[in-house]
Amino acid sequence: MTQELQIELNGVDKHYGAFHALKDIQLAIPKGAFVALVGPSGCGKSTLLRSIAGLETISGGEMKITDEVVNNVPPRHRDVAMVFQSYALYPHMTVIDNLTYSLRLKKTPKAEARKIAEEVAATIGLENLLDRFPRELSGGQRQRVAMGRAIVRRPKVFLFDEPLSNLDASLRVHMRKEIRALHDRLGATSVYVTHDQIEAMTMADHVVVMRAGVIEQQGAPLELYDRPASQFVAGFIGSPAMNFVDGVTNADGTAVTLEIDGAPELKLPRQVACNQKVTVGLRPEHLSISAAGQGTITTKISVIESTGSTTYVGAGDTGKITIVLSERRDISVGDTIDLSINAKDIHLFDPHSQMAI
Amino acid sequence: MKRIRSSIIDGVGFDLVLVGIPLVFLLLFSGLPLVYNVLMSFQEVDLFSLGEVFRPFVGLKNYRALFAQPEFWPIMWNTVIFVFCSIGGQFIVGFGLAVFFNTGFRGSTFIRGLFLVSWVMPGLVVGATWNWILAGDFGVLNYLLSSIGVISENIFWRSDINYSLWAVIITNIWLGTAFNMILLSVGLAGIPKDLYEAASLDGATAFQKFWTITVPMMRSTTGAVISLGLIFTLQQFDLFAAITGGGPANSSNVAQYWAWELSFRQYDFARGATISTIMIAVVMVASVFYVRSTRHEVRG
Ligand SMILES: Nc1ncnc2c1ncn2[C@@H]1O[C@H](COP(=O)(O)OP(=O)(O)O)[C@@H](O)[C@H]1O
Ligand SMILES: [Mg+2]
Repeated sequence: MTQELQIELNGVDKHYGAFHALKDIQLAIPKGAFVALVGPSGCGKSTLLRSIAGLETISGGEMKITDEVVNNVPPRHRDVAMVFQSYALYPHMTVIDNLTYSLRLKKTPKAEARKIAEEVAATIGLENLLDRFPRELSGGQRQRVAMGRAIVRRPKVFLFDEPLSNLDASLRVHMRKEIRALHDRLGATSVYVTHDQIEAMTMADHVVVMRAGVIEQQGAPLELYDRPASQFVAGFIGSPAMNFVDGVTNADGTAVTLEIDGAPELKLPRQVACNQKVTVGLRPEHLSISAAGQGTITTKISVIESTGSTTYVGAGDTGKITIVLSERRDISVGDTIDLSINAKDIHLFDPHSQMAI
Repeated sequence: MKRIRSSIIDGVGFDLVLVGIPLVFLLLFSGLPLVYNVLMSFQEVDLFSLGEVFRPFVGLKNYRALFAQPEFWPIMWNTVIFVFCSIGGQFIVGFGLAVFFNTGFRGSTFIRGLFLVSWVMPGLVVGATWNWILAGDFGVLNYLLSSIGVISENIFWRSDINYSLWAVIITNIWLGTAFNMILLSVGLAGIPKDLYEAASLDGATAFQKFWTITVPMMRSTTGAVISLGLIFTLQQFDLFAAITGGGPANSSNVAQYWAWELSFRQYDFARGATISTIMIAVVMVASVFYVRSTRHEVRG
């Protein structure tokens, strides 16, 4: 089945003078998809989003929106709406005027524009704030107005640039669900920029991990979690972050010896190159405390942090290995424990290229 | 005594001292002369009573006599034309330049800085320079206008009663444009860029962005610039002294220059003070607008 594409980027490059901000970006976004662009600060997420919006002109490659090449199409002809991190509400206009701004530019009759805006306002809980100015609203309300202004236009594509980063934690969790529900109801295509991998994982159908202007890996959220293509993606996706330990594969490539105290040997799920230096990745939630025995890591507890539902244990001399426990255990700092892990949950990376083996 | 001392050092007293010093200064050097000027407009003043404060009170006699002078209304009308056209010209050219430099092309800040030169130059020097530009027989302005075909014979800007006021207005527009541009540039720089980006995505053309974002966001700055412009324009004296001397036949005379003429040429101090008092009233109205427009900032 070939799905209809909404946005297509072929080898897109962006230079700011000598600085190469986007490098050979390949991205195909199907109609109706919710795509998250995620990566550390400064990796080019906003640049990519703004290029799709037309606010930045790309230096090379080809960009298509619904099969039309838009490299040189100005933002107002692209039929995309954007929710800015700063919200960018028009401060001299009331909420209703902010919402109807695009309609008024299109010379929509006044009554009709107001009706559309009121409907949208009702769906996102703004109906009582229509005559207020942005300065009279809370952060969360401004955020809603910014979304409402985008929705009123019924655009082909919604672009979000870290829309929740100025909200407090609980509101952020709530808005996450609301934005996703809104996306599903409108049947829109959304591109959502965030530096928060949890937002990306929970909201998106398709996650694009970026680093230094390059797409490091893209795929379904669980695919990135289960099969990270590189040590960077492995460390970025998942919380708390994956543990990385140096190791060497054994003589027949079926097990790996960790270079930590006791030199424990872990069985591998499949055969790899023998006698090779590797970086072993172990997710904190895959490690469990078990009875001492074959294929276990014997170590000492150095830190315990409990949130009630979850316990984070730091093991090894500097808390180098993190373990997440969802059930309570009778343990304390200084205890010696044995950790075990399923062979299928062991990730191996090449220490030089940092790519998955 | 000790309490007063400690209050001055770390209490409310310190604030009062801070506010008090400039207040006393203002009252002494601005307030008193103003009051003296207003007082004088209700008195009979001659050269012998010049040094006194309490002179014969004559009520509105000075005002009546002034209004009855045949040149009064023409000069007031000149003042209105001068003020409106100067402010209008300065504002439009200044706004245009501010928008132009706000595009941020290479070297824009440097060139914008150069405009301040007109601000640094004394009015009399500016007047002298423009006298050359405006000269009827060899002036550059006539040359320009005739070479683009606007005029067919030379205009004697300074000595033709139809143009003498305009000679001063043109010079004053040049003089005040930099001030307008700088203040308006500050206002433009204060408008967040992302508003324009949001408007672009909402479908606005450059022209629509200007009218729906720039103009309304500049409202308070505009009010301030125009009120200040009114005050500065009513103060403009040097250019009249340097270019036309109010002539010929009062054709370019305005209230502020006339007040000086009456007081210091004809030694009729009472009438000079009367005109000044009328102008003080106008400036006070302008100040109210200025204060109001700076208070009604719509930002954030
Ligand atoms: N207008 C610009 N001129 C020069 N460099 C820029 C410009 N905009 C962004 N950059 C650079 O491009 C890189 C990516 O920026 P951005 O896309 O904003 O990152 P983020 O992933 O945090 O959103 C950063 O290193 C930034 O310094
Ligand atoms: Mg960003």
